[in-house]
Amino acid sequence: MYPEDLCRLIERVDATRAERLKQDVPRLTEAEQADLLKKYHPDYKDCAFRTLRVGPNKGERTTHEIADLLESFGDLDHSKVPLTPAFDTDVLVLGGGGAGVTAALFAGQTGARVLLATKLRLGNSNTIMALGGMQASVDRADSPLRHFADTLSAGKFAGRQELVRTMVEDAPEVVKWLLDTGVNFDRDSSGNLALKKGGGLSAARILSIGDHTGLNIMKVLKDELRRDDKIEISEFTPAVELTTNERGQCNGAVLFDLGRRRFITVRAKAVVLATGGSGRLHFQGFPTSNNFGATGDAIVLAYRAGARVEGLDSFQYHPTGVMFPDHMVGILVTEAIRSLGAHLVNVRGERFVNELETRDAVAAAIIRECERGGGVTTAGGRTGVWLDIPVLEQIHGAGVLRQRFRALFRQFMRVSINIVRRPLLIYPTLHYQNGGILIDVNGETSVPGLFVAGEAAGGLHGRNRAMGNSLLDIFVFGRRAGVAAALRRGENPGAVGFGHVHDYYERLRALRISSISKSPTLFPDFIVDKL
Amino acid sequence: MSDKKLITMELEGRKIRVPEGLTVIEALWDTGHDVKRGIGCLSGLCGACTVAYLEKGAGKVRFGLGCQVVVTEGLNVIMLPYFPSRVAAYRLEEMDDPYSRLPEVYPEVTGCTGCRACNVCPEWINVAEMMKKAREGDCAGATEPVMDCHMCGLCASRCPQSIAPHYVGLYLQRASARRYPIPPNLEERLAQIRDGVYRAKWDEADALDEEGLKEFCRRVREEPA
Repeated sequence: MYPEDLCRLIERVDATRAERLKQDVPRLTEAEQADLLKKYHPDYKDCAFRTLRVGPNKGERTTHEIADLLESFGDLDHSKVPLTPAFDTDVLVLGGGGAGVTAALFAGQTGARVLLATKLRLGNSNTIMALGGMQASVDRADSPLRHFADTLSAGKFAGRQELVRTMVEDAPEVVKWLLDTGVNFDRDSSGNLALKKGGGLSAARILSIGDHTGLNIMKVLKDELRRDDKIEISEFTPAVELTTNERGQCNGAVLFDLGRRRFITVRAKAVVLATGGSGRLHFQGFPTSNNFGATGDAIVLAYRAGARVEGLDSFQYHPTGVMFPDHMVGILVTEAIRSLGAHLVNVRGERFVNELETRDAVAAAIIRECERGGGVTTAGGRTGVWLDIPVLEQIHGAGVLRQRFRALFRQFMRVSINIVRRPLLIYPTLHYQNGGILIDVNGETSVPGLFVAGEAAGGLHGRNRAMGNSLLDIFVFGRRAGVAAALRRGENPGAVGFGHVHDYYERLRALRISSISKSPTLFPDFIVDKL
Repeated sequence: MSDKKLITMELEGRKIRVPEGLTVIEALWDTGHDVKRGIGCLSGLCGACTVAYLEKGAGKVRFGLGCQVVVTEGLNVIMLPYFPSRVAAYRLEEMDDPYSRLPEVYPEVTGCTGCRACNVCPEWINVAEMMKKAREGDCAGATEPVMDCHMCGLCASRCPQSIAPHYVGLYLQRASARRYPIPPNLEERLAQIRDGVYRAKWDEADALDEEGLKEFCRRVREEPA
């Protein structure tokens, strides 16, 4: 329920709705957009970044939070880790979200033995939190080329052409696989896949399952894992280090059993790292929409093993993160709301940006509006702008919200906010790691035997990811990485070792770096900022 | 320390004072419970953090998600993740009409007495109604609300017949996807890719330099649909 002071401000949103509906907010020109981003997007805030002094990306820029993890000694005592593997397998998959589960399923299909280890419960991931949908060019008026062009443009042409092409070309096939597995994408009356538009896209290309797309895909894939008894699952066992052989190839990982508080060494012919992104590192103090476990572990593990990263100075701040009530801060409001025409409104009841600009531009515009004094501040000290959701009932007819956004409706009814009548207070929330560990079209990194898929991987999305492309890329590259990793099963993995870590630490010492960090982070420190 | 008001509550069987305004999960963390199991998205979407709670003066135990329930004075709450549930083994691709096979896959559905104890869904699914439809053979009707289910298993924890409605729902959901033929728009696109309809354009894009690629993309995006 909104307190009285916010209710009074909401009256202004209500009073201006009819006028705003007639208004047409012009799109930004390319120059305007560039200027807006430069001045207000968090990626351009120079003091939040620094240059790495060590490793394959020495001299390149990343956030202080990531640099702190990379330029330090981990708190793992390698001398206490048993070097005799407790498990021997063909493919070791790290991560139990969409990318990891997909990699495990496809590796398993080839007959390879698979061990999937995950930090939390199988399936607990950002995948289930993907609300809006997944891109695939299946419409007649659309094409893989259009998908390609939209993706590269959204990413400011920093994405790698061959990775983008791979993703858009595989997309329809991935949709077919999901349908066959029992994923029930929404259909229209003629049995076609129902499609929605998304910010910055030149065609209707978003497939969805109500407003719970990722969850419903994950439920099915997790269920599908049960049928393959060659795939072993280990929950609550995060990876804390990769292992390499004397040739520098990745050949396993050390897991930490959270219950027993013991290390488990796993040897494998190939490793698929799919532990997701880094929102829980809370760059620049931003709230996040991410899952509890999204602490950037993959970056730390892979970088120490010598893998190149790319684009780790670019993150997606989703424009519409919840700012009220306090206990829901950072939670995502699906972009589908804006796609359908909801307005962003300042404290005076005015629109200030075309809501269908790409996510980075909309986020920057909201930050600008708040810095210019157009924001609304809560008793909890947070500032945001209004997302006028009720306007959708006028555009699309009464009942549309309860029908099409059932989850969102419930989520806010639990706190006595009725989205049919009330706007939500929102502000950008840290949502996605645009870069990551650089992969090739089969998901392999610059370290032989180490594959990466999903948000942990880099090179694909450039400097801004378009809506619906992450749910797609986890399946495209999860599948490719799983298959390619399984093809290594004839190889001799050699002995597991930490030569790469010793080398890396040697370079830190040479730079007189002595700081120790809990790296990988595994879990965010619990800081209740309400206290 | 802050000037936040403290409340007294019972957390995992322990009477304790915590600042007001915390969720159950935050109260657990704040009081030194190193909770990792039963934590997931922290957004009320994943169903990992199910809790059972009794509010002060209330006569009835309620159920919800620990990341969304805010603690109040006198609240008595425990976590309730991972309720044991029987899951059937099945291969959908070997069935002609998976809907009709429900009584074989989950025979316990026929034992449902309609007691409605399962209606504790944090996503407000009318589980009893869904089970009634499943029992009576209206599988399509039973599948409809399942899209909101995040598999928390609270419904199963209440069932006196040890039925796991969330797994019954998942079976129906997967079965429903297999009842429809391949979408025509998808089939058409797959054929176009197979036939190499886009090959010439891809070759053109591959040969371009950076500026050329930008121009190419602008053209493609602006082509009328």
